[in-house]
Amino acid sequence: MDSILLLIKEGEFEDAELDDYSFSCYSQLEVDGTQHLLTCAFDDPDVNSTNLEFEICGALLNVKCLTFDKLQEMYFIKTKKFLLIGDSEIHVKLGGKNITSKKLNIVEIVKPEAPFDIRVIYRKGANDFLVTFNTSHSQKKYVKELMHEVAYRQEKNENDWMHVNLSSTKLTLLQRKLQPDAMYEIKVRSIPNANYFQGFWSEWSPTFHFRTPEITGRMDPVLLTISILSFFSVALMVILACALWKKRIKPIVWPSLPDHKKTLEQLCKKPKKNLNVSFNPESFLDCQIHKVDGIQARDEAESFLQDTSSQLDESEKRRLGGGMQGPTWPSEHAAITPKAFREDLPFGCLAGSISMCEALVQSSSRSPDCREGGKNGPHVYQGLLLGPGTTNSTVPTPSPFQSGILTLSPTAQGQPVLTSLGSSQEEAYVTMSSFYQNQ
Amino acid sequence: MPFAGNPSPRAGTEKVSFRYIFGIPPLILVLLPVTSSDCDIEGKDGREYQHVLMISINDLDTMIKNRTNCPNNEPKVFKKHACDDNKEGVFLYRAARKLKQFVKVNNSEDFNLHLSRVSQGTLQLLNCTPKEDNKSVKEQRKQKSLCSLGILLQKIKTCWNKILRGSKEH
Repeated sequence: MDSILLLIKEGEFEDAELDDYSFSCYSQLEVDGTQHLLTCAFDDPDVNSTNLEFEICGALLNVKCLTFDKLQEMYFIKTKKFLLIGDSEIHVKLGGKNITSKKLNIVEIVKPEAPFDIRVIYRKGANDFLVTFNTSHSQKKYVKELMHEVAYRQEKNENDWMHVNLSSTKLTLLQRKLQPDAMYEIKVRSIPNANYFQGFWSEWSPTFHFRTPEITGRMDPVLLTISILSFFSVALMVILACALWKKRIKPIVWPSLPDHKKTLEQLCKKPKKNLNVSFNPESFLDCQIHKVDGIQARDEAESFLQDTSSQLDESEKRRLGGGMQGPTWPSEHAAITPKAFREDLPFGCLAGSISMCEALVQSSSRSPDCREGGKNGPHVYQGLLLGPGTTNSTVPTPSPFQSGILTLSPTAQGQPVLTSLGSSQEEAYVTMSSFYQNQ
Repeated sequence: MPFAGNPSPRAGTEKVSFRYIFGIPPLILVLLPVTSSDCDIEGKDGREYQHVLMISINDLDTMIKNRTNCPNNEPKVFKKHACDDNKEGVFLYRAARKLKQFVKVNNSEDFNLHLSRVSQGTLQLLNCTPKEDNKSVKEQRKQKSLCSLGILLQKIKTCWNKILRGSKEH
């Protein structure tokens, strides 16, 4: 009977040996305080593990062997009694008898705990993303040094993971290496650093999702303001340069020759500031100008000058002839006293206009017979006073001194004029007239 | 009649035989431990010590300091055995066996486990001759105070550092 039972049992063992009882184990150190966990499972999930037991012997503290606990298809042992030095043996037993054994070292099959609390923070100033995560192994005594692997991808791109290995718990991802305005997911796992403890990758951490910002054309507000102000400043300077080129800039950069008429006006202005000096006949519109018959004036001048020593040139006579046209004389209402005349103006005008510079003033001041020369004297002002627009106008008879125009004595006037301007009075008048009309 | 001044040849041979039989072997036995080989140390690269043993030694040291206030004088028994040159293995072997004496029931589980880990782990890394086992047993029974344990742990630590320094130099 005993021999029959023995044969049956041996048959059972033969059937059991045909199955593949290969198994794998991993250890987790300090998983619960100071307690370690060793987990084993058959590689073939179809193995009937009903009566199978796992046992570990060797490299244990104060005991020789320990038996595994079973949870569904997994065999595990939770203990503090791992020596962590040297090899151990794992036995698979059926009914107390060894089916298979495996020699392993607890410190070489370590599986770390999965990292957690992974976060991604966008740093606008640095244009990058700071990835941080945490691991429970930073607080452990034995398995402290780990190697981490961060994997990230764009959500729409499946199986297109990017991997980064690091030993610390911080990682920086550059913004320019990521797609703008895209959704990304990121996860991390760990493995022992292979210094003494070795093993397998941990489980992946929970995935974290983050969105990359859009690339906008907005510039920094300060920079934008400065750019706009600079643009407008430059534009304003260009406009001002174009507008003031002729009047202000060009005279300084490329000064033009001074205008003789304006220069003369300025010179005449200096002694008498309240005088209106101008070559423009429109300045004298409010003055009463008595026009003198050009031929009569010339005859009178010639007769007056018959006794003079100086002679007029032919060109000056022609000029005088041209200048005789269109003279206008101040009206009867315009009056000027000899005193005023001597001191101020050689011409009569309510406004006190003067069309002759100081040479004429000097000549007129020397004339003692201003009144007498008023009628007979030549109308010396015609060429000086009048513009080209005044022609064919009648020349009124000069009025007496008090009430009319004071005309200078030709003699007295002519000589200084001729002295200052040329050889004769007529010549001087011609010169001034032609000077004016030849503008 | 035998001559008094001349001993018989048979009597001299017997004296020489007894000398060789009963004199020299004990002498050899006494001298043998001195000339015997030292313990071989396997963990000279220091990985096991740095990642496992040193952690338990530091934890034990912390627990002892929290529990006792020890004097500075060193017990005499420790003065006999030192981590001398070429004797580091022997010292560690003896020290590891002494640690077992400190395992007590009234200690905490973690305390006893750390003691066992240092003792057993050190012995695992040493390959000593059986003679060392018999010799140190009597001495191990004497010292059981925590202060002695603290001193012993420091000596073990010092000796390991010496071994590792020596292996780095070589």
